[in-house]
Amino acid sequence: MVFQLNRRVLVMAVSASVLLAGCGGVKTTSTGGEGDYPTGNIQMSVGASPGGSTDLITRAIAEGVGKELGVSVPVVNKPGANGALNAKELKAAKADGYKIAVQNASLFTITPLAVSANEAVKIDDFDLITGVSQDDYMLAAPAASGYKTIADLKKAGKNIKYGTTGVGTGAQLASALTFKTAGIAATDVPFDGGAPAMTALLGQQVDVATFQIGEGIENVKSGKLVPLAVFSAERIAFLPDVPTAKEQGYDVVVSQYRFLTAPKGTPDDVKAKLAEAAKKTFATDTYKKFNEANFLTPREVGPDEIKKILDEATAKYKAQLDQYGISLAAKK
Amino acid sequence: MDGFIDGFGVVLEPANLLYCLIGVVIGMLIGVLPGLGPAATIAILLPITYGVPPVSAIIMLAGIFYGAQYGGTITSVLLRLPGEASSVVTVFDGFALAKQGRAGTALGIAAIGSFIGGTVSIIGLTLVAPVVAGVALDFGPPEYAALSLFGVLLVATVGNGGWLKAVIAAGVGLLLATVGRDTFTGASRFTFDSLNLADGIDFVPIAMGLFGLGEILYNLEERHHKLQTPAAVANVWPSRADLRQARGAIGRGSVIGFVLGVLPGGGATLSSLVAYAVEKRRSKQPERFGRGAVEGVAAPETANNAAATSSFIPLLTLGIPANATMALMFGALLIQGIPPGPQLVSEHPDLFWGVINSMYLGNILLLIMSIPLVGLFVKILKVRPAVLAPITVLITLLGVYTVANQVFDIFLVIVFGVLGYLMKKLGFEPGPLVLAFVLGSVMETAVRQSLLIFGGNPAGFFTRPISGTVLVALIIVLALPAVRALVRRQKERV
Repeated sequence: MVFQLNRRVLVMAVSASVLLAGCGGVKTTSTGGEGDYPTGNIQMSVGASPGGSTDLITRAIAEGVGKELGVSVPVVNKPGANGALNAKELKAAKADGYKIAVQNASLFTITPLAVSANEAVKIDDFDLITGVSQDDYMLAAPAASGYKTIADLKKAGKNIKYGTTGVGTGAQLASALTFKTAGIAATDVPFDGGAPAMTALLGQQVDVATFQIGEGIENVKSGKLVPLAVFSAERIAFLPDVPTAKEQGYDVVVSQYRFLTAPKGTPDDVKAKLAEAAKKTFATDTYKKFNEANFLTPREVGPDEIKKILDEATAKYKAQLDQYGISLAAKK
Repeated sequence: MDGFIDGFGVVLEPANLLYCLIGVVIGMLIGVLPGLGPAATIAILLPITYGVPPVSAIIMLAGIFYGAQYGGTITSVLLRLPGEASSVVTVFDGFALAKQGRAGTALGIAAIGSFIGGTVSIIGLTLVAPVVAGVALDFGPPEYAALSLFGVLLVATVGNGGWLKAVIAAGVGLLLATVGRDTFTGASRFTFDSLNLADGIDFVPIAMGLFGLGEILYNLEERHHKLQTPAAVANVWPSRADLRQARGAIGRGSVIGFVLGVLPGGGATLSSLVAYAVEKRRSKQPERFGRGAVEGVAAPETANNAAATSSFIPLLTLGIPANATMALMFGALLIQGIPPGPQLVSEHPDLFWGVINSMYLGNILLLIMSIPLVGLFVKILKVRPAVLAPITVLITLLGVYTVANQVFDIFLVIVFGVLGYLMKKLGFEPGPLVLAFVLGSVMETAVRQSLLIFGGNPAGFFTRPISGTVLVALIIVLALPAVRALVRRQKERV
């Protein structure tokens, strides 16, 4: 009796694992001619752990696209190397539209400036389907510090310790450029992600820190943090009173973009169907509310426009880093 | 105090009650089975917690941990077969009592002692936690640097085996922690140009390999002796005379367990040994020990439960795991996206108080279960390892894949499984390796961040109140044995 019970528990545990594993690796059964896409599940992979912005966006889109196309769209997390691991797998996948992914602009524009060549990923290895949204960065200081603008930091006349969310992130690039162009002596203190950087800022271990809007807006609203600048080209709807760095006289524009990609060589009609389904998803109220709740600005532009944004950003960042002699990788 | 009361609300949610029950039952089961310890079980179950809400997951894993302390007692008393390392000393007097036909008394005393020990520690945890939370924001990189250094050094010196082997294992753990992309410069370290290693080695495959697979492989090799017929259990409720005799031992065991559990490198096994030794030394008739002294069961069983509970304190309040099992809890929290640290109490009060309060409940469940279900649990020993081992291996390999959907992780588990097997075979404990691995990355990041903040001046570590105190304490702890040896030599010379 006891033995039986025990065995049953084990069998249950095994089947639970199998089930879990099954959820992760749903095979796409892609058969049939080109015209009737999709005939099976479309897998969306995420190059980050569950819970992050990219993951949440992917899930929101997967739900909508699945409904539009009448197939299920499982989301699989493949975290690793800032998303490069996922990019590499997607690049190698069959270009039939059954494996797609939302990817981050920073992986193509900023990360290559900081990591070794073999880890760098090229945008030309993918077909672009549609732009998704823009996620912005802010520079903030603890309320007790008394800093209100970037100029205040300069007036402080001391070496400013700034926290960032890691090497090769937009947060690091934006801060490095700001302090260099403003001529402020500053030290970069990288943290592993937004949460530890936020803790260090609230505890005043660092003077200021740069992170994504969603990571810091709660503490801004509660008055614990004062935003000094946002790094978007124009002011953002979620923090309308906060001036951009550009307004304050520093030519620093850094945003995170996310867009839907497929392996290179995906048939045009498949791409068109996916773009259409995404467009319909973007138009739903659920999705619009999702964007607002996560402080994302829609950037639902076409493939050519994304390519332009990426190429311009890459060129500009590189030029600025060269001009000011900044290296994101090596320590000064 | 609000959080404390809300915590009961969290525990009493039906789902959480169920997870608590599942946890303590599994804990008790594996506590009975020699070989498969709580660390291995938690390692194997890590991926399953992935799909469970954070509070429920940690409640269940905690239940496995303290449940195992109860389970280990049963086989120690009835079969002279300690299910857990922390129940080894219980064998001496527990089995002697069983031979006298007083197995029931031994189990009853153990259950009562465990309950009291566990409860004392929970109350301690409840009182200490808000104090730490109050200064949470004062914990910056320098404080983490000091604490993790303290942790690594203590772990390396206070292991179960020889200190040299512990230091070697910890050294390997520190080296493994350096694999991956450097957080500060973006340089790739020891990645051999593989993107799979770009983020370093994940904690889960290491833990599952060393504790799970390694343990299973090692156990397969062990000879399996034929089971004795367990002694009959009757009259579980101890007599008033027994209770009077055990009273002091339970009280002292609670305190010893609580204190040793909090210290890095301490924990259930060490505290049970110390508590037993203390009782024997204090006793007016030390010759009774080993021949069925009630205190000889009460002291270690109280202490190991108190320690199992109090070792949660450094993890939940400082984010520093005190022993290998807590390192696994650390991993479980990270999987759930919750970094353990001083902010835990204020940022995740439901988790913090939910888990603590689940321990009150879990201890009551264990007390209720352990006595009537003794016979049932003993029968589990009849499951042959040939049946159990392949199933656990399968669960391990499937489980690790589900965490990140990477086949690479399956290979990692196998590699670390073989390493874990070899380590056990050569007398190395996997505990220091895993702890050093966890603390190593915390330490490296914190030290380098601190130096950036201090402008490169290491004196900064000593000028901040918390990091300074920790470092001074560390120096005292390290210097103490040397000073004591010196004094002793002086005396001998005189």
